[in-house]
This record gives sequence, C-alpha cells and structure tokens, in this order.
Amino acid sequence: MPKDLPRTAALAATALFLLYPLWGLASPVGRWRWAAAGAGPALATSFALTGVALVIVVAVGTPLAFFLRGAARGVRIAFEAAVLLSVLMPPLALGLLLALAFGPGTAVGELLLRLGVPASNDPAAFVVTQVYASLGYYLLGAAAAFEAVPRTLEQSAALLGLRPRAVLWRVTLPLARLGLAAAVSLAWVRALGEFGAIMVTAYYPHGIPVQLWVDLQDSGLPAVLPLLLVFLLSALPLPWALRILARSRGYA
Amino acid sequence: MLDCRIHKVRHAYDVAVEIVAGAERLALFGPSGSGKSTVLSCLAGLETPDDGHIHYDGQTWFPPPLALHQRSIGYLSQHEALFPHLSVAENVQFSLDAAARSDERSWINEIRERLELGALWHTRPDHLSGGQARRVALARTLCRRPRLVLLDEPFAGLDRPLVRELAAILKDWQERLRFTLLAVDHDPLVLEGLCPRVIALEQGRVVQRGDWAELARAPATPTLRELLDMRP
Repeated sequence: MPKDLPRTAALAATALFLLYPLWGLASPVGRWRWAAAGAGPALATSFALTGVALVIVVAVGTPLAFFLRGAARGVRIAFEAAVLLSVLMPPLALGLLLALAFGPGTAVGELLLRLGVPASNDPAAFVVTQVYASLGYYLLGAAAAFEAVPRTLEQSAALLGLRPRAVLWRVTLPLARLGLAAAVSLAWVRALGEFGAIMVTAYYPHGIPVQLWVDLQDSGLPAVLPLLLVFLLSALPLPWALRILARSRGYA
Repeated sequence: MLDCRIHKVRHAYDVAVEIVAGAERLALFGPSGSGKSTVLSCLAGLETPDDGHIHYDGQTWFPPPLALHQRSIGYLSQHEALFPHLSVAENVQFSLDAAARSDERSWINEIRERLELGALWHTRPDHLSGGQARRVALARTLCRRPRLVLLDEPFAGLDRPLVRELAAILKDWQERLRFTLLAVDHDPLVLEGLCPRVIALEQGRVVQRGDWAELARAPATPTLRELLDMRP
C-alpha cells in the first residue's frame, strides 16, 4: 500500500463530504431559468460592494492585528473578547442590532441622517453591514498569522540594521502571508455570503444572497440554481488565487 | 572602543560586569548561569540593563537604550535564525541595499568563497544541514561589516574540525576588519582558540581577567579551576 494513501484517502473523503451539497445542483427541479433582470445587477452589487468592504476590512484590520501582538495582556484579552462577541453574533441578530444602533432613534443615526447618509437600504448600509460581519473573522485570522511569526527572526533583522518598518515589510509580512491570505479569504467569503444581517439593513440594492431568496420566493428553484452556480464560480477565484500566491514561495 | 558597565537584576543574583575592549577578541568564560549571555543580550539590545552604561566609539547605547538597528552589531548564537522565505544569497546580503550589494561585491564574493557557500547560494535554509546553516549565519553577520561582533555559543553542536575552521576564519577577518569580538561558549577549548584575552564570570561577577595562561596558572576560584581542568 503506498505510504501516502491513508492521508490522501482521508483528505479526499473530507473534500467529498464538504462538496456533497453541490450534488443538489443536479437535482431534477425542472429546466433552469436565468432570471436576467435581477441576476446581473445582484452580481454587480455583491462583487463591487464586497470589494469595497474587503478593502476597508484589510486596511483597518491588518494594522490592528499587528499592534495587538504588542499590546498589554489585559488590553489584548479585552479586545479579543470584543472581537469574539462580534463574531459569535447570529447574522440576523447583527442585522437587527445594526438597524437599531444606526437608526433614527440614536445619536449616530441622527448624525447620519443630517449628513444625508441613509442607514438602511443603501450601498453604504450594505458595505457597513459586510464590514461588521467580516472584520472580526479577519482580525482573528490576521492576529494568529502575525503571532506565528518568530520574534527571533524580527530581532535578527533589527540587529542586521533594519528599521522597524523594513522589518515589517521584509520579514513579518512575508512570513505571515499564508495566514493573512486565509484571513482575507475568510473575510471575503463571510462578507459576500452574508444574508441574515443584509436582509435587515440592506434589502436594497439586492446582493446575490438576497436575490437568491427573492428568486426562490418568486420563481422557485429553477431560477435559483443558475445564479447560485455563477455565484460560486465567480466567488471562488479570489480566495483560491490568494492561497496559491501565498504558497508560491513554499513558506507558511 | 567598547566601554560598558552592566547591572542587571536577576532572580538568583544580579549581574554586574564592567568591560573595556578595543579592536580585539575577548572571551567571556564561566559556568552555566554566570551571566555571560545576559551581558551579550544587554550589549545587543535584546535586554535592557537596570543600571550602568554602554558606549561604543563615543556613541551611547545605554542609557537611554539605543534601538537595535542603530547599534551596528553582529550577533550570532546557536540558533541561526535564518529567514526561511529567502535563499542563502538573500539571507547573506539581507542587510545590504542594492547599492551596497554592488559596492561590496568583492567582499560578498570573498565571504561566499571562504565559507564555501557557492554551491548553496540559491538554496533555501530548510535544505541546509546544521553546519551549513551556521556558515550562512556567520556570513550574514559579517556581511555588513559590524563594529561589534557578539558570539553566544555559536559553535554549539558542531564538530571540532568545523569549529576550528570557522574560528580561524573569524580570527582572520577580525584582524583585517578590526572589529571588537566578544565570544561566549561553555567550551574553553573553543574560546581559547579564538580569543587571546578572557574575562571569567561567576554568579554575575567578574572573578578574573587576563590571558588563558594566567588563568590556567592561578585560577581565581575552585569552579574556574574545575572548568579549566576539563580541557584535554
């Protein structure tokens, strides 16, 4: 028996288990119909606004995750508790709380109204909800990635004359890149697939998850499955490419 | 010229050591836990002394503590700490920017040839043996021509012929480049072959200074005698 067979078999079995729900795409639900009117705009909305949300999440989350490593123990524990709380929140509950917290009954809501920024059913609400839904996941992943970088290597770089910023660019980030890629992938998937919270805060403009729900209600499964397939095929390349790029030099 | 007085509070006992050294090779010798590595860590900036001063060529390194990257130190320990995402060539030239790499081409070539790194030049650290990794770490340490080289048991675990070879290379380069070299090792033979002058430490205090012959003739403490008697 080849030495690697048990491991390969275990990985293959797990992959098959994870992919099994896709078998549902082959179900005899009738002739698939492309709901062109809603599908195109929903795809554009989801990808464009998730892209904006992801940029915000990475831009805010990366320095925070890096600074968390050097924070005092008490600060770190309190911050991680806050992050975990946001991650543990059920999506529907997150949507309801966001709607209340940014609604007209609060000071923030009033300020947004005065500034002319709608707190619901608006691209801004869509992006903010995605940021809330994904930032915690990104922070946890990025913090773990930075934590895994050996301090001795950063000290070596400093002793070799590198300033702290150069150490970050030439040692810390390259060594953390696989973990950071995983965190970006997780944030992307989490934001793009968000349904429960978006349903409450940004039903309009329809993103893909809401459009799938609408199509299911209005036209049934034959209208849902083609959009779902396009969604999966178009959402996968980014996290996949990130993983491959991060692994390209063979170091985790 | 290194001029330091380091006082560091420890659990068991304090470390209090004064060292003045020019462009020479100086050994810190003593039993385990005598404070040798603490002194090197304080000089490198990895630890901060509780009191004292560290000056090098008129520049103050402590107090206040000078940042690690401003000290021009070569620090080599038994943990090579090679950058795993970079090749041997990139590790060795890590401290040099593009212009410096061009200016220092002949020096880099000399390091590569003398430490026999040519065949390994494009290899990743995870494919190196322990001895090869130690050569790369030594090359990386010396590539930027540091003013002060600190060796914290850098030859631990290597076989005698390789240790003798690396020590000979270090001696040669120290005499040419005129840097200050401070070496710590548990093995007196390694230190004796590398450093003519020695400072003996016990429980955080200097118990004797001199050359190896003086130490062997009249060791200041029974522990020192015992350590020196372990030599063949």
